[in-house]
Amino acid sequence: MQFDRVSKQYPTDGEPVPALHDVSLEFGRGEFVALAGRSGCGKSTLLNLAGAMDFPTTGTVMVDGVITSSLGDAGLTKLRREKVGFVFQSFQLLPTLSVVENVELPLLLAGRKGARAAALERLRRVEMLAYAARMPYQLSGGQMQRVAIARALVHDPAVLLADEPTGNLDSGAGELILALLREIANREQTTILMATHSVEAAAITDRLVRMRDGQVEEIRELCRS
Amino acid sequence: MPLLILFYRLIVRPLRREPVRTALTAVAVALGVAVVLAIELAGGAAAGSFRASVESLTGQADFEITATGGIPAGVLARVETLPYAFQSRPRIEDYAAIVGPNKTVPLIGVDLLSDAVSSADGDSRVFQKGNSVWVGDGLGYKAGDALKLLVNDTVGDYVVRGVLGKGSGEVIVMDLAPVTTILGRNGALDRILVQAPPGRSIDEWEKVLRAALPPGVTVARQGTRTDENRRMLQAFRWNLRVLSYIALVVGAFLIYNTISISVVRRRTEIGIVRALGAQRSQVLIAFLGEAACFGLIGGWAGVALGRVMAEGAVKLVAATVESLYVSSRPGPITLTWELALIACLTGVGVAVGSAFLPAWEAAQVVPVEAMARGRREHQLRMHKLRGLLFAAILAGAAWVASRQPAWNGQPVFGYVATVLLIGSSTLAIPALVALLANASAGLMGRVLGVEAMLASRSLAGSLRRTSVLVGALSTAIAMMVAVGIMVGSFRETVLVWMSDRLQADIYLRPAVPQATDRHPTMSADVIERLRQLPQVAAVDPFRAYDIYYQGWPAILGAGDSAVAAKYSRRPFLSGEDPRKETEELTSGDNAIVSEPFANKHHVHRGDFVELPLAGRRVRLKVVGVYYDYSSERGYVIVDRSTLLKYLPDPAPSNVAVYLKPGVRVEVGRRAVEAALAGRKVLAFSNRTLREEAIRIFDRTFAITYALEAIAVFVAVMGIAGALLALVIDRRREFGLLRFLGGAVGQVRRIILFEAGLLGLLSNIAGLILGVFLSLLLIYVINKQSFGWTIQFHWPVAMLLASLSVVYGATVLAGLYPARIAIRLNPIEVVHEE
Repeated sequence: MQFDRVSKQYPTDGEPVPALHDVSLEFGRGEFVALAGRSGCGKSTLLNLAGAMDFPTTGTVMVDGVITSSLGDAGLTKLRREKVGFVFQSFQLLPTLSVVENVELPLLLAGRKGARAAALERLRRVEMLAYAARMPYQLSGGQMQRVAIARALVHDPAVLLADEPTGNLDSGAGELILALLREIANREQTTILMATHSVEAAAITDRLVRMRDGQVEEIRELCRS
Repeated sequence: MPLLILFYRLIVRPLRREPVRTALTAVAVALGVAVVLAIELAGGAAAGSFRASVESLTGQADFEITATGGIPAGVLARVETLPYAFQSRPRIEDYAAIVGPNKTVPLIGVDLLSDAVSSADGDSRVFQKGNSVWVGDGLGYKAGDALKLLVNDTVGDYVVRGVLGKGSGEVIVMDLAPVTTILGRNGALDRILVQAPPGRSIDEWEKVLRAALPPGVTVARQGTRTDENRRMLQAFRWNLRVLSYIALVVGAFLIYNTISISVVRRRTEIGIVRALGAQRSQVLIAFLGEAACFGLIGGWAGVALGRVMAEGAVKLVAATVESLYVSSRPGPITLTWELALIACLTGVGVAVGSAFLPAWEAAQVVPVEAMARGRREHQLRMHKLRGLLFAAILAGAAWVASRQPAWNGQPVFGYVATVLLIGSSTLAIPALVALLANASAGLMGRVLGVEAMLASRSLAGSLRRTSVLVGALSTAIAMMVAVGIMVGSFRETVLVWMSDRLQADIYLRPAVPQATDRHPTMSADVIERLRQLPQVAAVDPFRAYDIYYQGWPAILGAGDSAVAAKYSRRPFLSGEDPRKETEELTSGDNAIVSEPFANKHHVHRGDFVELPLAGRRVRLKVVGVYYDYSSERGYVIVDRSTLLKYLPDPAPSNVAVYLKPGVRVEVGRRAVEAALAGRKVLAFSNRTLREEAIRIFDRTFAITYALEAIAVFVAVMGIAGALLALVIDRRREFGLLRFLGGAVGQVRRIILFEAGLLGLLSNIAGLILGVFLSLLLIYVINKQSFGWTIQFHWPVAMLLASLSVVYGATVLAGLYPARIAIRLNPIEVVHEE
């Protein structure tokens, strides 16, 4: 994944609000990267651009060899379906679907076959197979985030984007989730970009990108666990 | 004042932020109010015109004397020679058609000298001239104008001698002497108006008159007949009113839904304002105030819309009144400030009433407990079984109510049963929705894709909201189905009945228009002329008289029973051979009565009916009750010989002509027309008559369909509004789907599937409820209101067509919300907390 001199401004009634300014970054396969910084520093904007949910105002974002701004809506949707998985701070499971139905949802939206088997396999890998038939409100926060991770990985994406995945969890549950993400990056060679405020969370990653006012303030290589 | 500011900020401002949804809800109320008001105004105008055309001509009097077949000569003299100072005014009343504009107007014969009608040239000698007429100011003629009038089957030339006073309307007046000749009344009068002198009570004077007059002559207080006619119209007006309430009921469902959504959405907000010191009562008032806003806006808009809709409705209502009940002409539509205020307050009342439950729930919110939707929906799921139990109880109560007889001539318990059934259906709907939505989710996912599965799950997940929406739409659909089945069954019954009853090849009637209370006659020689035609096998002359029996208008008719027995197949309730019962008519003072007459007066075979005929009270033995759908008034039928014995006027009102085998109808018709040349008589083939009857039938029920369509339209608008709310509520979910790889088209399809599922569930629930309601309409409400038996019939094509249209409309109602959904910015909606 490559960000090349990416800037992003949001239009308002008055002056446009800058969110990112001249950011250039590159992430390799299987790399686990933490994006740190204060609220409003541009972490979420960077994740949205990486996930092909938005276009940069200037510069290019390349995901798995594809420049996002060259795609139309259908192309972006296809890219997300095949290359990108999302994990959110507040889990974002659909309350009306069971655990396994939530996990298989991306495959069903993409019209792929074998969705149920793939979903169950993903649940097994995140140790949630026993909860497959349950509804989200019957799970704890940590369990919900595991299900959300299983959903984000069900289509074997090249990139997993996690926005404060431990923000709504207690420390014990948070540690388990971080360990799971670490394992995924190692075992499945999935590139993971994780926005976080937590020093402990950042410590488990390969590289820390610290941001400030929409710019990269510091890049620090960490030891791979 | 501070409370008003808060009300504006917390209630009114959010409404302004969603103008489309606010407008949809207000329009739903407006349409409900408009329909009710329009029907009230139209009914009033139709009844008002009836009053105008009869009462204004009768003038001031205490009593009116009448007799079936005309008041015998001598009665007027008897009244005038009584040793009391009664003032009497004789009347002959009939109808004439003005040739040219082809307008049928009342033709009144009065004693011009005593009634003080002034002639334009002031010469009283013109009164007695046979061609002198005076016209009402509504006809637009002036003194000296020439007129051609068709009276019975004869056209004559007349001269307008003067215009009657202001407000006299559309009427033609002649002096008694010439009108007696023109109508061939042989001195018989239709009515004598009597004003009693002071000194005694009205009751005493009535006794004096009754004692002085022959037994077959009826003395009634003036206006009694008008009241009786109006009473007869009541059932018709009540049925229309009840139908018009449906749109209002549907509107109430939607207000309930809107306020429920409002409460669920603002639960956190309510918790905050409660924590900041708001009292429960303030929260309750705030949400009731929100509903009142909808009611107020919708109410006033409904008044304006209702006034406009009344213009169209009055034509349909008046046409039905004219063809089924009583001669009338649409009067002016009178919208008073009082009525407008009542209509508006009805809108507010319905809105506030239907919002009470969700508003009360809002007031119960504990500040620390801003309950999540999931938990509330779970609670509702837990209550499904309880709802089913109550639904069963209400259905049982509806069954009991449906078994009760009419109350005061009105199917009150039938209406109660209808309300109970709708209530039962409403309570059963959550269980039905949950069952169908859950059961179909997997199947739909496999067959129609993930969008259908998500839509299905979403509806089942929002059970409360879904149930209210399905309740509203299914109620409207149910009424549409019920009325459709009832009207379809009625139509089929009438078609079968006509094929039995109408066996003659040609039917004749005077060219002057007939009505249910208007029986113009042809010249008596017509019968003989027809009998002599070589193409004709038999002739059945039928004479009809307007009568009153036990205070209700009815029709006394007489035909040739021998001909009817030979050619016609009049079906009897007894199921016996119709010929046998028809033949019994010829053996003495026997009569057969139509089913509406029998039901209205509780008359059975073997009973006697006593009718005042030409100065005598005649007892007629009922030898049969036959099915009849031609008049709600009801018929008493005797043999022609029996009628002529008491009322020796041979002029027929209609004639049925049976052609010899092998004679083509067109040939026979030409022969008949040639034989009656010079007579203004209309000849209809059997087929034309049936087509005309069905045309009138369809016109009669046109307003019913219009009312149902409006109710369905209101419900579909409610679906659109609710889907819009649903999109706004679930915006994060739709945004998330985009994050998970969902395409714009998939989000659109989810909304459209939800709309389609709502339509499907509503159609299923509406169809089930509608069939039960149709049974109530056919076997209870119609039977008790109008007295006729309708054979149940499935109007499959109509049901399929109308349900498909409703389904299509429901799916279309999802288009705008779907458009809103796909315009949402997924990043914004997913990250907003």
